[in-house]
Amino acid sequence: MIQTIDISSYSVITDAIRSEARRILSDSTVSAVIGYTAGRRKGSTQPIVITTADEADKLLFSAACLNDLVVYLTKAKKDVPKSGRIGIVVKGCDLKAVIGLLGESQLKRENLYLIGIPCSGVLGSLLKPSAELTTKTIASKCCECTDRLPVGCDFVPAVTPAPLPDLEKRYANEISQLEAMTPSERWEFWKEQFSKCIKCYACRQVCPFCFCEQCLCDRNRPQMVEQTPRPSGNTAWHLVRAMHLAGRCAGCGECERVCPMDIPLNLLNRKMAKELKELFNSEAGFEVRDTGPLTSYREDDDQSFIR
Amino acid sequence: MQKQITEANLRLLIDSLLLKGQRVVGPRQSGTMVLYEPLASASDLVTDELPRRSIKEAFFPVCEDLLEYRKEGQQIELKDIDPARFPETVLFGVRPCDAAAVPVLDAVFSWDYKDQFFLARRAKTTIIGLACTTADDACFCTAVGLSPNDPKGSDLLLTPLVGGGFLVESQSEKGLSFLEAWKDRFSEPDDTKPLPLAQPAATPFDLKKIKAWLDDHFEDPAWDSIATRCVGCGACAFVCPACHCFDIVDEGSEKAGKRRKFWDACGFSKFTNHASGHNPRDLQPKRYRNRIMHKFKYYDDKFGQTLCTGCGRCIRVCPVGIDIAGVLEEIEKK
Repeated sequence: MIQTIDISSYSVITDAIRSEARRILSDSTVSAVIGYTAGRRKGSTQPIVITTADEADKLLFSAACLNDLVVYLTKAKKDVPKSGRIGIVVKGCDLKAVIGLLGESQLKRENLYLIGIPCSGVLGSLLKPSAELTTKTIASKCCECTDRLPVGCDFVPAVTPAPLPDLEKRYANEISQLEAMTPSERWEFWKEQFSKCIKCYACRQVCPFCFCEQCLCDRNRPQMVEQTPRPSGNTAWHLVRAMHLAGRCAGCGECERVCPMDIPLNLLNRKMAKELKELFNSEAGFEVRDTGPLTSYREDDDQSFIR
Repeated sequence: MQKQITEANLRLLIDSLLLKGQRVVGPRQSGTMVLYEPLASASDLVTDELPRRSIKEAFFPVCEDLLEYRKEGQQIELKDIDPARFPETVLFGVRPCDAAAVPVLDAVFSWDYKDQFFLARRAKTTIIGLACTTADDACFCTAVGLSPNDPKGSDLLLTPLVGGGFLVESQSEKGLSFLEAWKDRFSEPDDTKPLPLAQPAATPFDLKKIKAWLDDHFEDPAWDSIATRCVGCGACAFVCPACHCFDIVDEGSEKAGKRRKFWDACGFSKFTNHASGHNPRDLQPKRYRNRIMHKFKYYDDKFGQTLCTGCGRCIRVCPVGIDIAGVLEEIEKK
């Protein structure tokens, strides 16, 4: 049965974000605030960077605030101001990307002013941005989220999200379906998925961890990965990316959400995350770590998989 | 010429074409998406959903081979791909916003250089358009001078009728000869009314006024506020029926390989990267500015047309909610 999810707290959160943004911009705590604003279509939103207190009323929070804004903090997004301290609106899932980037020395905590959202969930897609948030329309990542209340932020609106109805664990189901396949079935499954790729690189461009200034896959002298959108180059691209993200991915699921060809990219990332949890007891969280599971070596690391 | 066809006869017509070995492409369910793909039978045809990607790939595929090379010792063998081998194709159920983009593409692919790959496919293709009876809030064909039953680009245009079936109007010689070749399937039009057409909510833009602003505002702070959010992917360009940029690359080894043509996008940071390392469009707002300038100024300057048919696909897929109709609204108000 489809149930409506209570997001009445979002209007209180919107007011709180506005007044906090106004305050930190007026007293020059920050030079800019990255948040969400309304789009043209009913219910739609888009990211916005504001630099004056007068613009604070443009900010909002709603179930259509899907973007992981943390991508704008990386060195790959040169257009967004990086001078001084920057305010940014983060959901729990987005905060994990901040934590990951702090661990990778890409950000300095003192340069950030984190506005955390007590989150009741967001929509899975923006195709119908005015859709009501229900147990059906909610994003898959929200169904298994354990981080609704962000930790360690500079400001969190004082609201307690209403308890959520029971949600189907879609990722867990997808992963168990994947694991139930034989290796050849699994290969066929991914081959078919990757064959849909048109190499628009939306997955890379929204990813907070794809901050390389020279992506290996853009190189043509020498060419490292076939650039053309064909099965071989597509497969190489997605596997290279999955491996490069393993142990780093914070699980925001943006790659999968923005894929215009419906490739279940986060399934790949979630499966990698599950392996890393099982092998190294490592997972993305709210604690900054100097090294990731694949960039550290311990004598007692599990070696049973080396045959 | 006007004719009429029942739903059943339309399906029979498609199956007859397929039986004859004719390649028929139309909107069909492909996994979780509807895409323009070859139909295996008339029952594959989906008529109530705009395909995720546009019809441009019928003439300008995502990726295609241009030539093959092979090298053995001092011998180099080059093999051209022969456009004569492209099959005759009938495109069924093409949305007016997609069909209208085809003449726009014709202009650019047959301008100073005749692109034989595009033009060979174009010559061998008959386009059967289908008027829209539904629209969503991203549709804005009516705002850029088109309409849900615009005949531009179609050889035949089908308009759904009350109670089923379609009114069929020929728009070209190709359309007329198709009607002639399959005349048994069509009947004379009776007085059945067409279904009410879709009504996109967008109000018409003053494209002249927008162009006049663009003529004078290559440098303007508005580009930053519009496009700082742009993350620089190619999703908008790739789903667009009118965007037509491509790259060419040789892939393979020193011994053997292929030269390939594949979609490119002005949103990519490498798009204007010079061999020297200099990039004249060094920041994302400059790249997004190019997208708008190309569509509503440069293309108009050169070919007297707008490089946008209001299909709304870029609005639906943009990862960061950039809404081209919203951008035009903002420019129009300036």
